[in-house]
Amino acid sequence: MNPESLFEISSRLAMAGWLALALSPLAPRITQLIGGVVIPVTLSIGYATLILVSWAGAPGGFDSLANVMLLFDVPMIALAGWVHYLAFDLLVGAWQVRTARQEALPHLMVLPCLALTLLFGPLGLVLFLGIRQARLLAAPLAKET
Amino acid sequence: MTSATLPAPRPGTLHALFASEPLFAATGFLIVLSLLVTVPAMFLDARQFQGESVWTKPIKFQVALSIYLLSLAFFARWLPAGMTGGKLYSAYAGAVVFAVIAELVWIGGAAMFGVASHFNQSEPMMIRLYSVMGPLAVVVTSASLVLGIAVWRNVDVTLPPALHLSIALGLVLTFALTVPVASIMSSMPGHGVEIMPEGETLPLFGWSREGGDLRVAHFFATHALHVLPFIGLVLATFSSDRIARAGVWIAAALLITLVILTLFQALMGRPFIA
Repeated sequence: MNPESLFEISSRLAMAGWLALALSPLAPRITQLIGGVVIPVTLSIGYATLILVSWAGAPGGFDSLANVMLLFDVPMIALAGWVHYLAFDLLVGAWQVRTARQEALPHLMVLPCLALTLLFGPLGLVLFLGIRQARLLAAPLAKET
Repeated sequence: MTSATLPAPRPGTLHALFASEPLFAATGFLIVLSLLVTVPAMFLDARQFQGESVWTKPIKFQVALSIYLLSLAFFARWLPAGMTGGKLYSAYAGAVVFAVIAELVWIGGAAMFGVASHFNQSEPMMIRLYSVMGPLAVVVTSASLVLGIAVWRNVDVTLPPALHLSIALGLVLTFALTVPVASIMSSMPGHGVEIMPEGETLPLFGWSREGGDLRVAHFFATHALHVLPFIGLVLATFSSDRIARAGVWIAAALLITLVILTLFQALMGRPFIA
């Protein structure tokens, strides 16, 4: 299979996971299983395969920006890097949903974090952590009134 | 440990494998799972080594070593009670598992970089690794000897005597036959004798149909732990104890003969099946 069709498949798989997380209040356990375990694990296995297949003989390395850019000139390696994003971003999204549920944070507040995590990974994480922290700080105030 | 309070495992269940030899069962199970990575790699990777996908060999070793560990975990239910809980045994089983994983990482790593694992005479690091892998392979195989002797000496086994004998003898023979065959093979430049690297092979096994292939004898030697118990089971079911026990010894002698014959056949450069 060529890198392009594998890219299509993995992106669709990840989107299915994000959809499950977005709909998580409907069925918390099954969506957590799909978005937090099954799909990230499938993507991670795919990542492992891509690295085994394409790592040897690839130019570049991790030691300098120029080398990292050189490494990503290889389509299979760039694809593996993309799948790495997909898998880890989804795991972070699933963690947000899980944490929000445990701490009774409304799902409507999680949704923008999920959207941002899907598009710009760490930005979404920072937003979620910020919302969570703000709520923890506000909680004692709410009790006093 | 809570293992003493667990109900006796029902034979044939997955639970029994994990209850009798948790480390071997878990490692065997993990190796099976690792096929999820290497089998797709075979379809994705166009690189070839000696006429086959570079991933064919790692996959063969994953299959073989998981069958080996799961078989040992299966036979471990007939070990003396408490043996697998001992400190010395645990350290030994850990060494066996380390050797198994080292072998798989070495073979998988060589496939990843598209170089030879066994018989590598070109890259200095791979030559050094190959010399370490011989002793480690003996550690892997020694587990069948250790389990075989322990099962043999276990008087509490309630199996028919012929079946008990066939299990113990099969395990011991796996070690006793595999080590000499594999040593002879590793002292040669390769597993083939007078064969073309890309010649005709038998399906599934990949043995040469044109020249001698030392892996044939290795296969029969290593599968003693499956063949003999199977024969023991059949004989114990259908004949008297005396006859069944004699049959097991005869089967063992035949198996030894088969290994020796296939070994010499290969050394003379003749194919097992043309």
